[in-house]
Amino acid sequence: MFTRAGYAPFASAVTRLPSLLASVGPARRTLSSPSINALFNPTDEHLAMRATLRTFVEREVEPQAAHYNKTETFNRDLFRKLGTVDQDHGLGVLGLTVPEEYGGLGLDATAVALTHEELSYSDPAFCLAYLAHALLLANNLAVNGSEAQKSRWLPDICAGTVVGGMCMSEPNAGTDVLGMKTNATAIEGGGGWKLNGTKMWITNGTLDGRTTGDIFLVYARTGPAKTDLTQFVVEKNMPGFSLGQKIVDKLGMRASMTAELVFEDVILSHDHVVGEVNEATLCMMRNLEIERIGLAAMALGIARRSIDEMKRYALERQAFGARNLFEFGQIQRLIAESYAEYMAGRCYVYGVANSLDLNKAGNGLDADGTKLYCAKMSKEVADRAIQVMGGYGYVGEYKVERLWRDAKLLEIGGGTNESHHKNMARDLRKRGIAPLD
Amino acid sequence: MKILVGIKRVVDYAVKVRVSKGTVDLANVKQSMNPFCEIAVEEAVRLKESKNASEVVALSIGPKQCTETIRTALAMGCDRGIHIQTDLRTDYMDLQPFAIAQLFQKIVEKEKSDLVLLGKQGIDSDCGQTGPMLAGMMGWPQVTFAAKVEVKDGGLLVERETDSGTETIQVKSLPAVVTCDLRLNEPRYATLPNIMKAKKKPVETLKAEEMGVDLVPHNQVLEILEPPPRKEGIMVENVDSLIDKLRNEAQVI
Repeated sequence: MFTRAGYAPFASAVTRLPSLLASVGPARRTLSSPSINALFNPTDEHLAMRATLRTFVEREVEPQAAHYNKTETFNRDLFRKLGTVDQDHGLGVLGLTVPEEYGGLGLDATAVALTHEELSYSDPAFCLAYLAHALLLANNLAVNGSEAQKSRWLPDICAGTVVGGMCMSEPNAGTDVLGMKTNATAIEGGGGWKLNGTKMWITNGTLDGRTTGDIFLVYARTGPAKTDLTQFVVEKNMPGFSLGQKIVDKLGMRASMTAELVFEDVILSHDHVVGEVNEATLCMMRNLEIERIGLAAMALGIARRSIDEMKRYALERQAFGARNLFEFGQIQRLIAESYAEYMAGRCYVYGVANSLDLNKAGNGLDADGTKLYCAKMSKEVADRAIQVMGGYGYVGEYKVERLWRDAKLLEIGGGTNESHHKNMARDLRKRGIAPLD
Repeated sequence: MKILVGIKRVVDYAVKVRVSKGTVDLANVKQSMNPFCEIAVEEAVRLKESKNASEVVALSIGPKQCTETIRTALAMGCDRGIHIQTDLRTDYMDLQPFAIAQLFQKIVEKEKSDLVLLGKQGIDSDCGQTGPMLAGMMGWPQVTFAAKVEVKDGGLLVERETDSGTETIQVKSLPAVVTCDLRLNEPRYATLPNIMKAKKKPVETLKAEEMGVDLVPHNQVLEILEPPPRKEGIMVENVDSLIDKLRNEAQVI
């Protein structure tokens, strides 16, 4: 087999460029039919993006994943490399869906899916920090913000000089999001808004464990009706805005920081109001669709990696005098079912992503559906990878136990399984007895 | 300095190729830029970034999918691309180095290139002939297996890989042909903004059949065989029996 590291027929032995691909194995032959491959990479640009991401992930993301998982810390330096702050060397994906005039790339939901899939192949936790920043903050602001707001905040967000996220859940309001208590009241005399409340489970809520992240979109109650929500921009160091706690000892996603954030009489001027007052429920719903595609795509990365790992192990390990574990029916079942489920999920995600309009709501049923299906699928595929690898699979060095822990979050974060059940059943009930297309 | 860099589309280095019907099966096989060509592109772009080169043009010869390979080179920093289109196989089965070097010669003459950077060889056919043949046809100096390239006194100072180490060669003046070895540099990945910008860079398409070059191969490939599978090893009891077997069975010591 040819690998770059080992290929130097005329020169003295050269060993560099430690190649993950080389270690995973030689099979890079396309397995699937052209129509399926076209679904995953609809254009040449998507194909080129995937190739670039794969190189980036192999060189930069893979080597650091275990360390940051272990220490429960955020790799700020690597996050910077996702932006454009280092001219011509930054990957430039922080503003993936942000229009070019604000420093982004203006790309589509398919690009979102493939970026999350590729990053999660090596480090789902790092990808989660990316998702909070690129989708919940950047994409949300790009879709819902005013011209002035976009010009003011998006260039830094795309460059990667600031890192932030979005605040929706509260200690006592998660799936029941409209039950949120955080509120903003208009200051008498029209001087702006006063924000009070506590937000919980905020990804990128802190980066260093001591202070808040840099910039957030915060949903707050601004009227008496259940859907009277408004979205505000809150920045680090604003008086009254503080870190409640860094949430530690998480099962998985340990390299992405999660925090409780506290707002005490935070004074916000009118230019910090994103969209119309009391109209933020639509912003929320619209942005949740792309978030769910992103999370479902993360599950694909986890599943693909798990399959690669179980395949590799099964090829190497001998038992009962057989050539390797592939000879055993029980192992065959674990591997084959994993592959079939992974491909089913992958087709569903790209099938939805390829025509998802980032500026419109209306794909809720399938956005929920992709995440509902893929989250569970990735957890089970990672579980099978552990099973194939036995004791080794249970140990950090073999990576799949981390993927298994990370996969579990996808059944909770960005919408619990139960919230997807509720939303999807509601949408399907609305169709009444009309048969499916 | 105007640089022409050659980029060959080959079966991806990580693919385990299969032989069928007397040749390497290319159906549904992932193909990408020859790794040594990637190194050549990186070196060309670095020469441009250090203001030693004014323009970098990427040239690829092969089927229409070569435009993907050219786009990669443009995203890495080349200024424009030239695609000589042909459906002939470029892995020595149809189109061979002698014809390829002549096609390059046509472009070098048209573009008035000062430096041609090529990979030391393609990883499909492993010929390593295109660079030397091109230099011969042009009557230019050449350095193969470059491990370091430095612009010096209107020429180049090139460190060159040899079997026993490296040698340093001064190319007194340009034009010249340099072929690139593995240790020359580590190619960058194309960033996403640069992939998007590459879409707007010009790519000229020419037809190989219309270039006035005889494309008919001078050598004929009779057969391609897969390497024989490795024989199973044996376990020896101790060092003594190992030495015994090496001496008497294998007769290597």
